Order: sequence, then C-alpha cells, then structure tokens
Amino acid sequence: MSGALQTALPSSTGPATRALRDPLVAGLVGLCLAAAAALLVAPPAPYLVNAVGQLAAFAILAVSLDLVWGYLGILSLGHGLFFAIGGYVCAMHLLAHGVAATGVLPDFVQFMGWKSLPAYWAGLDHAAYAFVLALALAGLVAFVFGLASFRSRVNGVYFSIISQALVYVAMLLMYRNDTGLGGNNGMTGFPLLFGWPMGAPGVATGLAVATLLALAAVLAGARLLVGSALGRRMLACRDDETRLRTLGYSTTRLKLGIWCLSAMIAALAGILYVPQVGIINPRVLAPDLSIEIAVWVAIGGLGRLGGAVIGAILVNGLKFWLSAAMPEAWPFILSGLVLLVVLVLPNGLLDLPGLRLRPTWLRAAR
Amino acid sequence: MADRRRRPRRAVLALGCLALACLAIPARAAPLDRAAFAAALCGDAAAQVRGAEGLVQAGGALPADDLARAGRLLGALAERRLSCTAEGAVLLDRPGAPEGRDAVTDAVRPAAEARAPVLGLRQRAAIETARGVVALLTGPDPAARAAGLAVLERRIAAVPEAVLDRARDAETDAALRGTIAGLAQAAALSSPDPARRLGAIGAVAASPSGTARARLATLKGDPAYAADPAFRAAVDAGLAKVSRAVAIGDGLAVVYNGLSFASILFMAAAGLAIIFGLMGVINLAQGEFIMLGAYATYGVQEVFRQFAPALLDLYLVAAIPVAFGAVALVGIVVEALILRHLYRRPLMSLLATWAVSLFLVNLIRVTVGTQNLQFAMPAYVSGGVPLYADFVVTWNRLFAIGFAAATLVLTLLILRRTPLGLDIRAVTQNRDMAACLGLPTRRVDRLAFGLGSGLAGLAGVALCPIYSVNPGMGSGFIVDSFMVVVLGGVGSLIGTLVAALGVGGANVLIEPISGAVAAKVIVLVGIILFLQRRPEGLFAVRRRR
Repeated sequence: MSGALQTALPSSTGPATRALRDPLVAGLVGLCLAAAAALLVAPPAPYLVNAVGQLAAFAILAVSLDLVWGYLGILSLGHGLFFAIGGYVCAMHLLAHGVAATGVLPDFVQFMGWKSLPAYWAGLDHAAYAFVLALALAGLVAFVFGLASFRSRVNGVYFSIISQALVYVAMLLMYRNDTGLGGNNGMTGFPLLFGWPMGAPGVATGLAVATLLALAAVLAGARLLVGSALGRRMLACRDDETRLRTLGYSTTRLKLGIWCLSAMIAALAGILYVPQVGIINPRVLAPDLSIEIAVWVAIGGLGRLGGAVIGAILVNGLKFWLSAAMPEAWPFILSGLVLLVVLVLPNGLLDLPGLRLRPTWLRAAR
Repeated sequence: MADRRRRPRRAVLALGCLALACLAIPARAAPLDRAAFAAALCGDAAAQVRGAEGLVQAGGALPADDLARAGRLLGALAERRLSCTAEGAVLLDRPGAPEGRDAVTDAVRPAAEARAPVLGLRQRAAIETARGVVALLTGPDPAARAAGLAVLERRIAAVPEAVLDRARDAETDAALRGTIAGLAQAAALSSPDPARRLGAIGAVAASPSGTARARLATLKGDPAYAADPAFRAAVDAGLAKVSRAVAIGDGLAVVYNGLSFASILFMAAAGLAIIFGLMGVINLAQGEFIMLGAYATYGVQEVFRQFAPALLDLYLVAAIPVAFGAVALVGIVVEALILRHLYRRPLMSLLATWAVSLFLVNLIRVTVGTQNLQFAMPAYVSGGVPLYADFVVTWNRLFAIGFAAATLVLTLLILRRTPLGLDIRAVTQNRDMAACLGLPTRRVDRLAFGLGSGLAGLAGVALCPIYSVNPGMGSGFIVDSFMVVVLGGVGSLIGTLVAALGVGGANVLIEPISGAVAAKVIVLVGIILFLQRRPEGLFAVRRRR
C-alpha cells in the first residue's frame, strides 16, 4: 500500500507520504504526553518548566508553518502575524480579566489618558470568548489575504514577500501608540490567569502542561490530516498545482482552507505563548521572527511534521542556551546552520541519519 | 533730591533732542561729536540716556571708528571703568585704577578721586541698546554681531530703520543677513508711520515664506486693519500673494522630497530587480549589501583622512568605484558559494540569503561596532539653496537624485548596449533557449548577480549623506524595495523606476495627511491590493519558462 502510494506521487515527496503511521510523530506525541505527566508529577525548576512550555508553543507554530510550506509549497514569511493575533488577543483577555477582578486599569490605558478600556474590549474578560475571537480573527485575516492571493494565483516567492510585507505593515501599525494596544511597549503586567495570581505555584506548570497537550493534539491532528485523502491532494497541489487543477480539483479552495487552518494553529501557539512569557509587543511582528519560523522548519526537516517540531525545539533550545552563554556567537551559528541545512541537507536534520556523502549539488545536476 | 525734581523737564528736553536727531542726523551723516558724547556719558542720568539714544538714532550714518570709540566708552561705562574728572571722561583698564586714557584724546591722565557714574535701570537699558547697535555694526565676527542683534530684538521699536539697513547691507554672513532683514521687516510692520507700514507689507509680500505669511496674518488683528481700508486692502492682497506662493513652494518641496525618496528606493531596488528578473532569486541580503556599500564609503573616507587630508572632500566621488567593486565582489562570492546550488529551489534561496544578511550584519557589528558612523560632509552635499518661498533645494538630496539618475542611465546602457547586457536580457527572457545557443548562463548569472550587488553598493554611497549608517540600516529598505520590484514588474528596470517614483511620491503625499507610519501602511496595503489584480506588476517582461 505504502509503496504503491509512493510511486503514484512524485518521488521528491519522500518519507512524508510513506505511511499513515509515522513513528516519528507518534514518538513525539508520546514524548509530549510523557513530558506533561512528568511536569505534573515532579515539577523541575520553574525556569525549566517555563522553557519547556515556550519550546512547545514554538513547536506548534512550526507545525502550523510546515503544514502550508512543507505540504502545500506555500512559504509564508508572515506567520508571525497570526502568532501575534493570538498573542495580542490573549494579552487583552488577561488584562481585561485583571481589570474585571481588581478594577485597576493597565498602565498603557492610563498612559493614553483613557478612563476605561475601549469598547472593543467588551467581553474579552471571558476566556472562552477571547479564545474563539483569537482563532476567528486569525482565520479571518488569513481568509481575506489568502483569498485575494490564491484567487489571482500569487504564489511562490511572490507570495512569500507579500506575506512579509503584510507582517511588516502590521508591525508598523502596532508600534504606533495610537493603535491602542500598548504601542511600542506592548502589553505586560498580567495579574491573573483564570482567577489565579500569575506568580502562584502551579500556574507555570499548568501552562506548560496545557501547551504540551496542545502540541500533542496539533501533531496528531496534523498527522491525520496529511495522511488523509485531503493530505494527498495537498502534496499533489504542492508538486504540480496546474495538473491538479486540470484534474478538476479546486486548488484555490484547498489552499485557502489549509492556509486558514494553519493561521489558526499559529494563533493557538500565540495564545499559549503569551501568558508564559508575560509580555507581548510588536517585536513578534518583526519580519525577522517570521523568517526564523521558516528557518526552524527548514532545519528540522521540511515536509515532515516531526521535523518541524524537532527544528523548533532544537533551534530555540540552542538560542535559549547560546544567547545567554555567548550572545555574540549566536547569529553566526544560526546563519551557519541555515546555510549548512540549505546546501547540504535539503530535507533538514532528519536527513542526517541517511546522509550519503555526496553533496546535493552533485546529485542535483541530473 | 534736586536731580530727581528736575527729571521731567529734562526728559522733555531729551525727547526733543531725540526727535531732532531723528530728522537731522541720518541726512547729514555727520561724524560723532566725541567730546560731547563723552560729556553726556559723564552727565546725569538723563544726559546719559540722551547720549545713548542719540547714538542709536545716529548709528546708521556714523563712521565705523566713531562707533567703535563710542562702543568702548559705553562698555567702560557699563563696567564701571569710566571715570569722570573735571577735565573730562577717562577710560580705565579696570574699575578703580589710578590712571587711564582720556576718552577724546587718548592721552594718559590720572583719574584719582574721580567719580565713576552708577547706572540706574533706565540708563542701563538705553546703554545696552546703544552697545547692541555698535556690536551689530562693528562686531568683528558673526557671533558678536548676532549677539548685538539679539539685544536689539527686545527693543526693536527704538531702533531706526537706517541702522538695520546698514547692518544688513554690510553683513557677510548669509544667515545673519536673513535674520536682520526679517527683524527690519518686523520693525517696519509695527512702525507707527502708515506709509512705512504699507511699504513694509509690500516688501514682505515680495519675498514669500511661511514666516512672512504668519507675520502678515498677525496684522489682521491690528487696530488699523479695521480702521484703515487702504491698510486692510494691502494686508489682504499681500496675504493672498504670499499664501499662493507658499502653497506653490510647499508643493515643490513635496515633489522634491518625493523625488529624493524615490531615487533612494530606486537605487535599493534596481539591483534586486535585475537579480530577481534573471534568476528568480529574492536576495534578502540586498539591504546588507547597501550597508556594506556605506561602510566601504566610510573606509574610503578614513583612508583619505589618513593619507590625503587635503583631498578629503573628494572621498564620496572616490568611494563610488570602490563601493561598487567591493560589494560586487561580495555578491559574486555569495553567488559562487551559495546561490549557485539553489537555482531550482527559490524558496530555499530566500532562507540562504537571509542567513547571509544575518551573517553580514553581525560581522560588521562585531568588527566595526554598532554605533552610527560619522561622515565628514563635503561642501557639495551640505546646505542648500532656497529656491522659491519655503522650498530649499538641499544638496545632499540633490546628490542622491543625481546619483540615482546617473545609475539609471549607466545601468540601462549596460543592459542595452553591452554584450553582457545582451546576455542578461537573453537569459532573462528564455534561459533554456539562451543556453542552447551557447550562452554560458551560469557565468551570466554570476556577473549579473555581481552587477546587482554592485548597484546596492552604489545605493550605500548615495545614502551616506542622508541616512544614519549603522549595521542594522539595511533592514529598513528591504520590504520597501521588494514592494517596488514586485510592483514594477519582474526584470523591468523601467518598471522599477516607475514603481519607485510612484511609491516615493505616494509616501510623501500621504505623510502630511496621516503621518509617516500610516503613509507607509497605506502604500504597502495599496501595493498588496494592486498585486491581487495584476500579479505580474506594472511592466511585465514577456518570457517563457
């Protein structure tokens, strides 16, 4: 079965299509669950709990990009936008929740000279509403941008740089104080989470566990998706969109649907990320950060869900460690890593085990 | 006590003298009666004021040496170095010195037991004004003259027109001359003489500027505006004329700023457009290539400073070939080491060039530092010339515009008239066919990449006089210049030019209405929307794949 499937599709798709059972993804899901259980049973040092939670949030973000880049061939250099939408709505919820509980207005609202939270914050103190709003907003933005782009067949490098311009525009907007979401300083000083004080023991652990569980769910769900008939259509669209369209499939609808789904997963990552770092500011909208997401995916292994997770955790783990240990060297290491992966390991670090010692450019000459 | 009782009468006398002086002295241009002046300064309070004010009134016509001597006397009086003996005033070197020089004859005379006059507030003000006139007319350097002017500004109504006219005509410093002229106009506008006021309104209206408009607009609140129809008509006509001229000048300034912004965008985007058109590679390191060009310029400047300080002004010109060559070399190396392997994977080349940009930024950061570089500004890129109303043509922006125009012409010549250009155009249009015809497409790629990178280096040179140069400067251009390339149409230099003009103009037009950030946002959103309708951009090169 798996062999037949592989010959039916262009060979470049590699292991991603091999089987519905993917030992790597299964292992990672298991690892997530095990880590969550370990955190609950024997919580380690708080900073470690926090780091695990943040890494898991980044892994979710990487999976969301891998879905569109690895499986649809759409490289978004603007995924930070959706991450930021989730993050900002989450921060708004936390602040609104704090205002509802304590009555003290956040700093930036006082700074702007407002007497109360603006009207569009209404209802954001309800967690469920904020959650739905974050996902819906990300989905909506993705839908509008995706519809416009995919319908006029903007793809490839064009789509990448236009999505980069989009996130850049959003960054400029959010840097203005007048936009009203904290401007340059962003939003911070969240007092409460579901009624618990932010600093209470167990809150960090709870967040990390929730993020790990979300990562496991996203991984499993994405695995089911790419293993389904729809997933095979995604690969077909990536490898030859014209042919798929000629066969009668609406590639616009396919791309649009997955694109919106990916945006919502990125927003989910943002929602989980913000309470763990305790701040959101326009720097998450910097084009560089959005490129870095693509770098995680490329380093881990493009077009394999496990690769995205491994890449995100590896790069960010290195970053946590090295940007403290030798901050000067980190950018050099990162750029070297990217060049190495791009030139020698076109499918990312997952190529390492089966690396043949013939450089890719010799093989590519065929 | 006696002195105080007599003061009103003396004041009337002084006023009479003053009026007489007003009428008589400018017409006759008589030299200063030094003895009388010295005696006045040694006289009572009213005489001192009379002497000082007489000097102010006569200042426009007095010979320079008389003014200088009067200035010395006034200075000595203010600093209590003027001693009054029975034989006349004596100038001391320091307060209380036993002897000094005679105020009129300069002969050395003892000054023991002499009286040093003490100044009251009123005398002090009059003497300050007189000293201001002397400083303005005879000050040795612009700073001294400007200080004198600053003193006069507070009491401008007491300063006669002739003094300001003489100061303006004699002034060598252009900026100070402008200030003096402005002050003279302000004085004339508020003068009690209606004819002089009307003349001043005409003069103000003849050289329009924002300040002239504000000056005329305040006259609308003047009582004479309601009372005197001729005055009102003159103010209204002058205001209308000035407003029109200022609007035109502002419009010209917008066009000029838009043009200079567009030329910078064009310089940043031209190389990108060639590379993208030829190879489909988005070079995310283009901004860093611009930064390298600026740093190469800095290097050339330092070399000049070290070995040929006399020729320092020429470093910008000398930097042009250096920056082009250096950055082109970097580009060729990047192409040969990295991009060559990625032509079939354009998305990966995006990441690879991003890694290159990260590397270059941090390399410069570590080796040179993060601070802004200091550039010596040669005369040909500093200052500007006021052209019309408030519109000033600044040389640094003109330099950028001229530079961009020259680059455009040169690049077009290379693309249209050289064998390399022919090759580049052939490969851009149909890579496979060009290869079949025997073109070494890979070598063309490499040279074109070098050309595109070199253009970025040139942009770096043009930016030095305008922008602050630091390792992170490249990231500011990258999104804008991509948008210009995409909007213009891939591989079309003319399209890039038109798109740069459009984006630059739109940015500058929207900026005054809704702020710089909003302008950028509106322009970028506009481009994104436009590309939904025409994904291939304004000028698409016809090509086969």
